[in-house]
Amino acid sequence: MPKLTITRLLVMLCVLTLLASGCAKKPVVEQPVAAPESTQVEMTQQQPAAVTEQAVTDTATNAYDAAAAARAAERAASKGLARIHFDFDQYILTPAAKSILVSNAGLLRAAPAVKVLIEGHCDERGSDEYNLALGEKRALAAKNYLVSLGVAADRMSVISYGEEMPIDPAHTKEAWAKNRRANFKVKR
Amino acid sequence: MKTFEIGVLLIILLCLPFSVAFAARIEISAPGEQTIPLAMTRLLPMGVGAAQPAIATEFQQVLLGDLDLSGLFDMVDPAAFLGDADKLGLRRNDIDFNQWRMLGSEALIKGGYRVTAGRVTIELRLFDVITQRLLTGRRYVGKLTDVRKIAHTFADQILKSLTGEKGPFASKIAYISKRTGYKELYLMDVDGYHPIQMTNHRSIVLNPDFSPTRKELIFTSYSKGNPDLFRKEIYTGRESRLSLKPGLNIGGRYSPDGREIALTLSKDKNSEIYLLGTDGTIHRRLTNHYSIDVDPSWSPKGNKIAFVSDRRGNPNIFIVDIHSLDVTRLTFEGKYNATPAWSPKGDKIAFSRMDNGVFNVFTIREDGTDERQLTFGKGSKEHPRWSPDGRFLIYSNDLGGEKSIWIMRADGTGGRKISARGGNDSHPAWSDRW
Repeated sequence: MPKLTITRLLVMLCVLTLLASGCAKKPVVEQPVAAPESTQVEMTQQQPAAVTEQAVTDTATNAYDAAAAARAAERAASKGLARIHFDFDQYILTPAAKSILVSNAGLLRAAPAVKVLIEGHCDERGSDEYNLALGEKRALAAKNYLVSLGVAADRMSVISYGEEMPIDPAHTKEAWAKNRRANFKVKR
Repeated sequence: MKTFEIGVLLIILLCLPFSVAFAARIEISAPGEQTIPLAMTRLLPMGVGAAQPAIATEFQQVLLGDLDLSGLFDMVDPAAFLGDADKLGLRRNDIDFNQWRMLGSEALIKGGYRVTAGRVTIELRLFDVITQRLLTGRRYVGKLTDVRKIAHTFADQILKSLTGEKGPFASKIAYISKRTGYKELYLMDVDGYHPIQMTNHRSIVLNPDFSPTRKELIFTSYSKGNPDLFRKEIYTGRESRLSLKPGLNIGGRYSPDGREIALTLSKDKNSEIYLLGTDGTIHRRLTNHYSIDVDPSWSPKGNKIAFVSDRRGNPNIFIVDIHSLDVTRLTFEGKYNATPAWSPKGDKIAFSRMDNGVFNVFTIREDGTDERQLTFGKGSKEHPRWSPDGRFLIYSNDLGGEKSIWIMRADGTGGRKISARGGNDSHPAWSDRW
């Protein structure tokens, strides 16, 4: 009797295991139906073009996602947009400033969704109100040059802080040179 | 705003025969030209109340400060005072004028105080020692914290008795301080006491101006992300944006009648001077030039405005007639002239000129003649503004590494720092009579 019971138990266990594995497998059959559907929905919502499998295999790792590419260009713009500097009491763009703006324009053209705030600044010398006007002229000079390089004017806004926000608060020629600038801030 | 409650009541004009004899005998047309030997006795306790020497000390210190700044007086040394200085007698017949005459004094201040139920009464007399006449007598009643204000008010009265024109000592100074880490608007007394923070924008607040007709200030603030012009009622604290055009809304200045505001706008991508109504609507554009035009300052008649422009190269002061819009150039010397301030007397325009990176204050007549340098030496002195009587100038000075507010006489003498350390204080503006 005990022996029989043990064999019966063993048999039952085997049957149970089989049943269990069978049960476990059953949803696997159904899942593939549900899963691709949901990913497809996501993909069409995000970027329909990205669904094509060719892009994944043919090109570099993250380039299959145009959204990611745009984000990367945005990141490149917000990190890469370099500030430009000016001579004392001047808002004319120096050759050095122009070449920086050429590179900034490239970054901005690559990231067409990015909007940018151009801040004009002055050194501490000069009167505060005059410098507010001068800072605005500097920001506008930068904006106009970027427009000439193909960046849409409506993507750029300007603000002048005059001499209110120096990078370097020292009262030296070096500090003044650093502070006479236009900055580019990516707006979210 | 409690501090601004005028707890001081000017109660009684004690004596009417206001003497013009003094003004006739000693003609004072400008500070520093001629000084009057003046004896000022210490306030003595009146009546039954306990003596509170602190009141007398504070009063004396404030009044002496004002009289010294005025430059009109030569104070008689109190160490030489004789017996009459210790007698309370405030009536003409009680005073031994011969004692004061012996000390060389031509004018005499005597006074007493009384404290009852937390209120202080101060009685004051100014006598002409030579003619032995009362020039002015005043009784002030206020809170114990009003002693400074009483002293300033009496100083104004002394100047009125001796020169015919009131002093500006009981008025207020608005200025910008970075004490909290942000540039905010503050108010203080003319001697730097009682600083009060008026804004809490946690942004950048700049360039205040007082309304000549209401207890109200205008200023520029970046608190909404653009340099907009704000208006603030001083007593209620009510604040609103008056001009919020894209770009600059800066350097707002009330017209002398308080009905318009001149300011710089750059809504058309270039800074120009405009006139606004007090409701913020544009009345008129005064300049039209591709150069920088900023910093308007009204003539006291309200028909002309001095401003800064770089239309001939460097920043210089120009004057525009607000009716004909004719522009004339005022300054020709120096390479950088800015921040004009037209004297309320109309005769001069103060401005600051930068030379080798350092600003100094100058004055010039409206026709471009009689240019005078008022300040010298180290420290950039900028943003001069006149007292309402045209006797004094207030300005910022960065001597010692940080900006602070200084005051001086209109001829450049007597310069002294009035704002406390640690504020990086700038952009002062002087109220009209308070």
